[in-house]
Amino acid sequence: MTSWLDHTINGLIVGNIYALLAVGLALIFGVSRLINFAHGSVYVVGAYIGWVAVAHLHTPLPVTILLVAAGSALLGLLIERFGLRPLQGSTKIAPLLATIGISFVLDQIVQIVFTPDPRALPSQLPDWRFQIGGGTIGALDILIAAIGFTSAVLLFGFLRFTKLGWAVRATAQDRDAARQMGVDVDQVNRIVFAIASALGGLSGLLVGMYYNYIDPAMSFQATLKGVVAEVVGGVGNIPGAIVGSLILGLVESYGIALLGTSYRNLFAFILLVVILVLRPNGLFASKRQLPPEPLTGTFIAPSKPVPLPTPALLAALAVAAVLPLVIAQPYLLQTLTNAWLYALLGISLTLIAGTVGQISLGHAALLAIGGYTSALLTLDLGVPVGLSILAAGFVAAGLGTLLAWPAFRLRGHYVTIATLAIGEIVSLAILNWESLTRGPIGVFGIPPISLFGYPIESARAVYWFTLAILAVLAALQLRLLRSHLGRAWRAVRDDDVAARSYGIALDRYKALAFITGGFAAGISGGVTSHLYSFINHETFNAQLSILALTIVILGGMGNVFGAIVGSVLLIGLPEVFRVAAEYRVLIYGLVLLLLIRFRPQGLFGTV
Amino acid sequence: MIHATRRRALALGSLLLATAAAPAAFAQTAKPTGEPVLIGVSGPLTGPNAQYGAQWKKGFDLALDEINASGGINGRPLAYQFEDSQSDPRQAVAIAQKFVADPKIVFEIGDFSSPASMASSPIYQRAGLVQFGFTNSHPDFTKGGDFMWSNSLTQAEEQPQVAQYAVKELGLKRVAVLHLNTDWGRTSKDILVKAVRDFGAEVVATEGYLPEEKDFRSTLVRVRDANPDGLLLISYYADAALIARQLKATGLNKPVVAVGSIYSPKLIELGGDAVNGIYTNSQFFPEDPRPEVQTFVKSYIAKYGAEPDAFAARAYDTVILAGHVFRQYGTERRAIRDGLAEIKDVPSVIFGKATFDKETRRVVGAQNARLVIKDGKFVVWDRSAIPTR
Repeated sequence: MTSWLDHTINGLIVGNIYALLAVGLALIFGVSRLINFAHGSVYVVGAYIGWVAVAHLHTPLPVTILLVAAGSALLGLLIERFGLRPLQGSTKIAPLLATIGISFVLDQIVQIVFTPDPRALPSQLPDWRFQIGGGTIGALDILIAAIGFTSAVLLFGFLRFTKLGWAVRATAQDRDAARQMGVDVDQVNRIVFAIASALGGLSGLLVGMYYNYIDPAMSFQATLKGVVAEVVGGVGNIPGAIVGSLILGLVESYGIALLGTSYRNLFAFILLVVILVLRPNGLFASKRQLPPEPLTGTFIAPSKPVPLPTPALLAALAVAAVLPLVIAQPYLLQTLTNAWLYALLGISLTLIAGTVGQISLGHAALLAIGGYTSALLTLDLGVPVGLSILAAGFVAAGLGTLLAWPAFRLRGHYVTIATLAIGEIVSLAILNWESLTRGPIGVFGIPPISLFGYPIESARAVYWFTLAILAVLAALQLRLLRSHLGRAWRAVRDDDVAARSYGIALDRYKALAFITGGFAAGISGGVTSHLYSFINHETFNAQLSILALTIVILGGMGNVFGAIVGSVLLIGLPEVFRVAAEYRVLIYGLVLLLLIRFRPQGLFGTV
Repeated sequence: MIHATRRRALALGSLLLATAAAPAAFAQTAKPTGEPVLIGVSGPLTGPNAQYGAQWKKGFDLALDEINASGGINGRPLAYQFEDSQSDPRQAVAIAQKFVADPKIVFEIGDFSSPASMASSPIYQRAGLVQFGFTNSHPDFTKGGDFMWSNSLTQAEEQPQVAQYAVKELGLKRVAVLHLNTDWGRTSKDILVKAVRDFGAEVVATEGYLPEEKDFRSTLVRVRDANPDGLLLISYYADAALIARQLKATGLNKPVVAVGSIYSPKLIELGGDAVNGIYTNSQFFPEDPRPEVQTFVKSYIAKYGAEPDAFAARAYDTVILAGHVFRQYGTERRAIRDGLAEIKDVPSVIFGKATFDKETRRVVGAQNARLVIKDGKFVVWDRSAIPTR
């Protein structure tokens, strides 16, 4: 029995750490309706400010805390002023993407300045330890809990009892109405970002000290866990965020106790999906609470797509088709082949995210399902390669739709979070389901692509093969978009209440979109696995999902041609910047930010 | 094993010193000129594994300094072209196409992770360019074709040594194994568990964890409940430090034996007092008296002002090896492949002398030092100092 006590204490300790992250995220979401993906980066910056203070300035702990809080708050102000305020009035998705871009830039700057090596961040507290159960807790555990709890109480009091706090809440409820009532909305935003970032930076410092370990790559996990904890508690709900974090910590700890360490994140994400399905407003949302999502029709910018006559499209296709005859450089062809494979992913996501409005951040899962299906079919069952790729499309369509089913009843940001979780669940299932997937060892020796016995191996042949698949599926999708089905999909996106009252069964149309999109993504994954001959659970990771979404936004939501151009650009850009290796991700992030700032509807506009 | 090879190594090392490590004394050597002999490197300079790419560069640069100071490759300078793949298979594949199409590139090193390396193997194999993976311990890596070579230590060789240290030397009877749940960790674990059993001890728990894991308290409670008398870690230095620090917090005071990959000055920095008493087998150990090692360590410290870790040592070893092959067998792609199979007894920090097995295309016979961390320093373990726990 004592081990259960220990697992409980461990869960609370970890939850404690998540709470610091979740409170900041909740605050920002509460006011800006924004999932701040840059929060993890602020956390990293905070940790490194702390490192400089401790290792070089030798400041005592209270001064270190002040420095970190001030520095991170300043960073928050900068993010708000230069990253997000210019995006006011643009689509809801623009700030979300901007925070992703900002996190690229910040993480990369930290990495360039401090090198990617992990560093020790020694705790400045005495090493007191208290025996509880079989284990011990230290002074730092108590400090973390105290800071988390105190900040939550202070924030709660601030929001409830001060005039500025009212302004914050008014802004949260209705930005325009608040502005009409004389609330300086920008001022409110600034304050919220400063406070939330100070907390985020502080949590970086404390977590760094707790583990005596900081590195620039820890930002993504921090964001992920913070978001999960926040949703469990109810987005925008600060006391909820703390309780949600503790619950998340406990669930993870018990999960490990039951099944083992590899299952930690699996439990975290399953908890998230269950909460989203059963209580999408979080465990502690009151019934009277307004739906925290914007009403329909505002999530994606209505804009006029750039007109693209059919002859122009055909000409573009012809140019792409004859390109290998002109340019024999395999490197360029390989890069373009990659771009076509991403474009398949892009047209899949642009349908689901753009046309039907279900912004998915778990799209890599479809690739993974397709890749594993085709690889395992050829290796374990001896299915010929061409057929296995087709099967990959169907399995990804079917399984992907089933997995996304719980997300169908959700809207807006919730879809994004749910799909992010589903994507992670798929990746973890692949890792842990060893009898089928070979677990972490991965699948090796996947045969190269061949059609009717003819091997497709040269860079040129693979190029044409992928281009042909892309052309067929893109043409099919363009045809569908012009049909009744396409109109119904757009109706679901633009106003789901109105669509439903016209008799459109939302779930069925969403399912149709996931089937169509899942097919393209599954094919892309299948081809990829044969091209690489080796895949494992890391081949199709979460970063890929973010890249896919970026491709779609860049091209214009729902825009098939846009997704293709977007993927050529986003696959091409890093190759162009390869010379500037260390600065590549930085440049990439900046380009993304500039695009979002100056052309949020994408290059070719929303269809 | 160190002692057994010391004398031979000494003779060899003085040779190495003469040819490579004393640029000042051999200043009359003509400075290499002309078109450089180019090695393509595909590895992470950004992204989550960027720290390893940074270590690679340090090791490579040091080896290049030595080779070019002693005449380069038959009068031509040796250089490398590092392309950042972020260890992402897609980018590694594109880089592979770039390298194979570039006639100046005669030899390829990398990538870092197995998905990235093995995804690009078919391209290198078809084009007939050697892909040399010095971090690729994945058992299938060199099965990609006869152009896939590796001097990474195979787990089949390293893990039994760890098991022997833990069971035979330290007398552990009931061990718990914690391993990174990656291809490397998983393969290692399977071999280690088997070896431990072969030595007659019992494995009471195995726990795999993800590379980004930071919190091990719950895992360690599970381990504690299995009541082991010692822990075996298949970890890198960063996670090993985290585990060591959390052992105390969970009240688990048992001896810890870890595989050689934890060997890094960073382990001590990150782990503090908590890593004292950890036993490890290392193929690389800066205080190793062999002259190859001393030459490397001295010039590394002189150039970078810090102690090298095993990654830098392997990177250095690899370029030195490439230099020897190029000098003896020329710089034609196919000749290099044949040269790798032929070349014998290349002086090496990790292996003492490196010779490839023609069948597996790997090197066997790495040095093996038994170390223990004492007062924040790696020291050679002394049998008489077995703690009476």
